[in-house]
Amino acid sequence: MNRWTYIRNKAIWSLFTIIFVVVLNFFLFRVLPGDPARQGIRDPRLTPEAIEAIRIRFGLDKPVINCIQTINPFRAGSCEINPLDTQFFIYVKNLLRGELGISFYYNRPVSEILGERLWNTILLIGGGQILSIIVGVVFGILSAWKARTPLDYGVLVTGLVAWSLPTFWLGIILLFWGSTHGFPIGGKATPGMSSYPFFAQLTDMLWHLLLPTLTYTIVFMGEYMLIMRSSLLDVLSEDYILTAKAKGLSTFQILKDHALKNGMLPLVTIIAINLGFTVGGVIQIESVFSWPGLGGALFEAVSRRDFPMLQGGFLLIAISVILANFLADLMYSYLDPRVQTE
Amino acid sequence: MSIQTVEIKPIIPSASKNFWQTYRQSRLGIAGLILLLAILLTAIFAPLLAPYDPKSSEGVGAGQVYNAPSAAHWFGTDDAGRDVFSNFIYGARVSLIVGFFASFISVFIGGTIGIVAGYYGGRTENILMRFTDTMLVIPDLPLIVVIVALTRPSLLNIIFVIGIFGWTTTARMVRSQTLAVKSRKFVLRARAIGAGRAHIIRHHILPLVMPILVVQAVLVVSVAVLNESTLSFLGLGDPTALSWGQMLNYAFARGAMSTGAWWALVAPGIGIIWVVLGLILVGQGLEQVLNPRLNTHHLMPSRPTIKSEAAARSGEQVLLEVRNLSINYINEGQAPACAVEDVSFTLKEGELIGLVGESGCGKTTLMLGLLKLLPNAGQIVNGQVYFKNKEITTLSDDEVNKVRWRGISIVFQGAMNALNPVRTVGDQIAETIIKHLPDFDSAKIPARVTELLDLVGIAAEHKEQYPHQYSGGMRQRAMIAMALACNPEVVIADEPTTALDVMIQAQILELLDQLRKKLGLAIIFVTHDLGVVAEMCDRVLVMYGGVTAEYAAVDTIYNTPLHPYTQELLKAFPDLTKPKKKLSSIPGYPPRLDDLPAGCRFAPRCPAVFDRCRTEQPALHELAGELHVVSCHLVEAIK
Repeated sequence: MNRWTYIRNKAIWSLFTIIFVVVLNFFLFRVLPGDPARQGIRDPRLTPEAIEAIRIRFGLDKPVINCIQTINPFRAGSCEINPLDTQFFIYVKNLLRGELGISFYYNRPVSEILGERLWNTILLIGGGQILSIIVGVVFGILSAWKARTPLDYGVLVTGLVAWSLPTFWLGIILLFWGSTHGFPIGGKATPGMSSYPFFAQLTDMLWHLLLPTLTYTIVFMGEYMLIMRSSLLDVLSEDYILTAKAKGLSTFQILKDHALKNGMLPLVTIIAINLGFTVGGVIQIESVFSWPGLGGALFEAVSRRDFPMLQGGFLLIAISVILANFLADLMYSYLDPRVQTE
Repeated sequence: MSIQTVEIKPIIPSASKNFWQTYRQSRLGIAGLILLLAILLTAIFAPLLAPYDPKSSEGVGAGQVYNAPSAAHWFGTDDAGRDVFSNFIYGARVSLIVGFFASFISVFIGGTIGIVAGYYGGRTENILMRFTDTMLVIPDLPLIVVIVALTRPSLLNIIFVIGIFGWTTTARMVRSQTLAVKSRKFVLRARAIGAGRAHIIRHHILPLVMPILVVQAVLVVSVAVLNESTLSFLGLGDPTALSWGQMLNYAFARGAMSTGAWWALVAPGIGIIWVVLGLILVGQGLEQVLNPRLNTHHLMPSRPTIKSEAAARSGEQVLLEVRNLSINYINEGQAPACAVEDVSFTLKEGELIGLVGESGCGKTTLMLGLLKLLPNAGQIVNGQVYFKNKEITTLSDDEVNKVRWRGISIVFQGAMNALNPVRTVGDQIAETIIKHLPDFDSAKIPARVTELLDLVGIAAEHKEQYPHQYSGGMRQRAMIAMALACNPEVVIADEPTTALDVMIQAQILELLDQLRKKLGLAIIFVTHDLGVVAEMCDRVLVMYGGVTAEYAAVDTIYNTPLHPYTQELLKAFPDLTKPKKKLSSIPGYPPRLDDLPAGCRFAPRCPAVFDRCRTEQPALHELAGELHVVSCHLVEAIK
């Protein structure tokens, strides 16, 4: 009944999901074939001693969670090893202190590298998400309002095509087009820009950000348009819209004051559910445009077999998505007064 | 209960028999089917269609790397001098194989979890759905990337990983469908006779969940195809299987950009879009079959009024005069349905007129027509509506908006949905004052809203509440308060009491009658209950099948009804003065408005029917003396 109960339940659930991801993230890298140390440091010139040294350095010499070095919890404690001195608890302890290990490739703390890159991703997602929502909502409304007119069919077809575009491919095409039209071929800044004044640097960065954001916007607006259109078509055939019309309100007033908020509800849910896909799109865009964000970091970590980076990157992405989902739930509870506890 | 507007409902086809008939109507669905069939045939007959062997770069010289499209190589050549067109054709095989098999795994897992959760309920459902929600939040592509990176990149691995992480939405959809199906009668019956769970799931639930599963499968294939191409593009694909994503990976990584070889980039992308778009379009087509919905809404303009010659008006000074009003519903490819035909009545200040008839007799359509609120298919084809001597039917939207609510307001039936669920009741009342009375001191609006709610017996503290916090009776009273907000001269009450229990019905009727006396309102009271009207009305208009059956003062209607329909309606209600009277109901139903009988519309149900009634529609006979209009051949004799 009460909004606070609803929020509390959602918060508890988000926390539970984060714990799940933390545990999953640890075991994924232990269960799947290939010892990270052997996989990650495949240089044949390394002597066994050197590899052992690296294993010690990255803490891979310690038992995984118990002395048998398996993940079977029933066999835990069958020998005299301090459970707090196992890889899992060291991992959890480090996480709580915000440490994600040392990157094999950069030889620097993963958290430091990801911290720098997080903001670039937020910039890209933030801009793209806002633009695609605006475009999606505006055209979705127009299309539903003018249902069964050429405008409606135009929006419908555009939305369907945009929805089926592979993100990375659209990125490639835009990059290809941009490279012959004076756009940068990727990255965040023109080399040598750092000596320029702040404002010039900012303009340069936005210039680099333009095509990635455009890619993001086009890919995500399609679905938002379609969702908004179909949800608004439902809302506009509700009885309270007829009431609003009988009250003598103008079409604009009806759309703004009676249809928009109701029509937005499914969109908020979809945006929340989509956050996971969003990140998938960001990996592709950042890889194509060499935009130094989290997705790009994940992509590079894969090709460099940089496991700490991969692990840290995935964890950060997953936790961000869970938190963003929680925010979307909060927003929903303010939009819809009918929200009740499940 | 929703407001009845369009009486003609589309005929929903029985699932399998008319599947193709319905599907065919979706142009997008057809387009998708064509796209898919084309690519499917291409994949199957790849060896016949491809001009070159995709694996070998036989006969390729060093100078043939990234050759532009030509007669020999339609889509040009790639970084190794291979024919892009042949690669494109073989690429369809890889993409489709991964898509279909991965989707099979996803749909199998999702379907099982959904059905088990929905059918077993309780703790099982709770745990399964919590797990599903958790998996839904974890971003799947990063997870897939991580797992593929940690295992060997083979086609089989990719199929499994994509399949294992693509089931969440399917599980949610299937669960809600199972919940809906579970409580159907035949499932309950099967359980009652002791059928086993496995039997019920296999024979009763699965067939009804199947359609949802098919639509989901189609959409999951499209996601799987996209995921496969993304993985391949990121360099995590099977290097031995040249999929479209793989082609893009090679082209992008090996200088197609710098050499300007657009063909090597465009062709594989077109392939992916082709398949994904085809699948999404087919999904749309299937959705249309499973979930057909009327493609109309309240903001679509209704058809323009057909202007007609105005008949001479009675000289009397009246507030509202309806002259020969006729309204049709026009659906493409069907004969127009005459929902209202040639209806006339007048309303003076402070009068209450009852509009009586069974459901589907055109009462609501007539009321909506008065304010030009007809749905998209509705059209005023004849007649006029004068409100204070101003003809309304030909007014523009802006002008008619000034009459709506300020001059004539409506209380809709079933106020359950007539109030906006996301705005407070007080706010929705205040809105009309702000709109229509711009001079009203805005500081006094809250007091006015309180006063209005008080008038209908709702305490001020409910002002800030939302409609879902109100009871049914309160909502109906709030609707009345809203209808009175701008001091209208006419209030249309369209079956304001149908969904309510008897006590509240009585209260609301009492309230309306009091308000009429207190505020001098004129009221049009729409109902199917003759008993209700008897106590309060001045005049009664009985409608049947869209036409006036009988129109007279209330005493005349009750004491000397002439139309057999009025007589039958009266027989159907108890009379306190004749307690031994036998109550009877009229057998049959009102006619479908798009399939009216040739003669009198009441003929098929009329106890006094004779031959002429079946062929000739009776005219409106006006009897001498007091106002009394009857449309029945029998009246000619009396006249």
